[in-house]
Amino acid sequence: MEDKSNKEEYGVRENRGAVFWKELVKGLVISNPVFILTLGLCPVLAVTNSIDNALGMGAGVIFVLLCSNIIISAIRRTIPPLVRIPVFIVVIATFVTILSLVFEAYIPLLHQSLGIYLSLIVVNCIILGRAEVFASKNSVPGSIADALGIGLGFTLALVIISLFREILGTGGLTVFGFNLFNIPVLTEHPMTFFISPPGAFLVIGLLMALFKWIGVIKGD
Amino acid sequence: MLERLKSKRLYSVVFLTLVVLISVSLLLWINSFTSVVVEAQNDAKIKNILESIFPDLTEFEESGEIFIVYEGDNIAGYTFTVAGNGYGGPISILVGMNSDYTLRDMEVLSHTETPGLGSKITEELFTEQFAGLRVDEIVLSKDGGKIDAITGATISSRAVTEAIQDRMIEVIEILSGQG
Repeated sequence: MEDKSNKEEYGVRENRGAVFWKELVKGLVISNPVFILTLGLCPVLAVTNSIDNALGMGAGVIFVLLCSNIIISAIRRTIPPLVRIPVFIVVIATFVTILSLVFEAYIPLLHQSLGIYLSLIVVNCIILGRAEVFASKNSVPGSIADALGIGLGFTLALVIISLFREILGTGGLTVFGFNLFNIPVLTEHPMTFFISPPGAFLVIGLLMALFKWIGVIKGD
Repeated sequence: MLERLKSKRLYSVVFLTLVVLISVSLLLWINSFTSVVVEAQNDAKIKNILESIFPDLTEFEESGEIFIVYEGDNIAGYTFTVAGNGYGGPISILVGMNSDYTLRDMEVLSHTETPGLGSKITEELFTEQFAGLRVDEIVLSKDGGKIDAITGATISSRAVTEAIQDRMIEVIEILSGQG
């Protein structure tokens, strides 16, 4: 009898772990916020011109998404429906402002190159969307998994796009001051089209098609 | 009971107000220590600019829009910005002035003058003419002063020269008034 109850307990714990992992992986490919959900595309176009900006923006969005999901999920049962959207926005804006203040003081170069797009994270549809669709209706651990998954998926998308744009558009790759490599012929005649906004549209469009194709193959 | 409470308008008002108060307090707290760091960075930036004009600077002080530069206990000179109107738009100039009110150095910070013509106001050939001049000498040579205009860019040259002279007169007046 003791053995049986132990097995049941183990089964419940294992299930919770699997669910957490599933939520996390979901945001990476199946529900990738940029390529599948097509949310928050404006900043994606703007900050993928270099991998530094992409990584900085990705880290910022993960921070805001995690914090806002945790808080909103923690107080979800007390939020009056009448003012829930203003409450979400105040919470999100608070964390974005904290991010902006900290960046300005301790990483001023990144703060300057992200510029206005740092503050615009407040109106990034991804964060408000997850608050409304997920965090306000699910537990805190689940919301953490969702935030990590979607945030990492967003960062993954930004990194992939910026790899294409920076390598093709400047001929090399430079991460936080360290020049990783330069492709000889491409450095003298870089395809600067890819650094420009139309180039961003092209790269995103093609990658979107690729992600959809992967989804079709997997049968989702 | 919570469900009934949540539908009351008063509860919504109190809740949102509380959320905003907590948010503002948190932000004030974070800002209290980040703003110190940001101010220090700005001071460092200004110091770099002033040092390019006065390499032996020990400290500086801001008085209105004029920076007073010290070398030890003596005033080495002053630095201020000048806003002029050029041929193609506004011109922003940085001027370093010695303590005897002669011009020490000048640098064009930004402009939208014609490339190849008015844009030459940034070149040393034009800017080095200003060094050492008294304020009454800062006039185009064709107007009786000591600044040779750039060929084909008289308007840009005059704009810069007049803007610098006007501002210098203003600054000297302010400084003399302060005694």
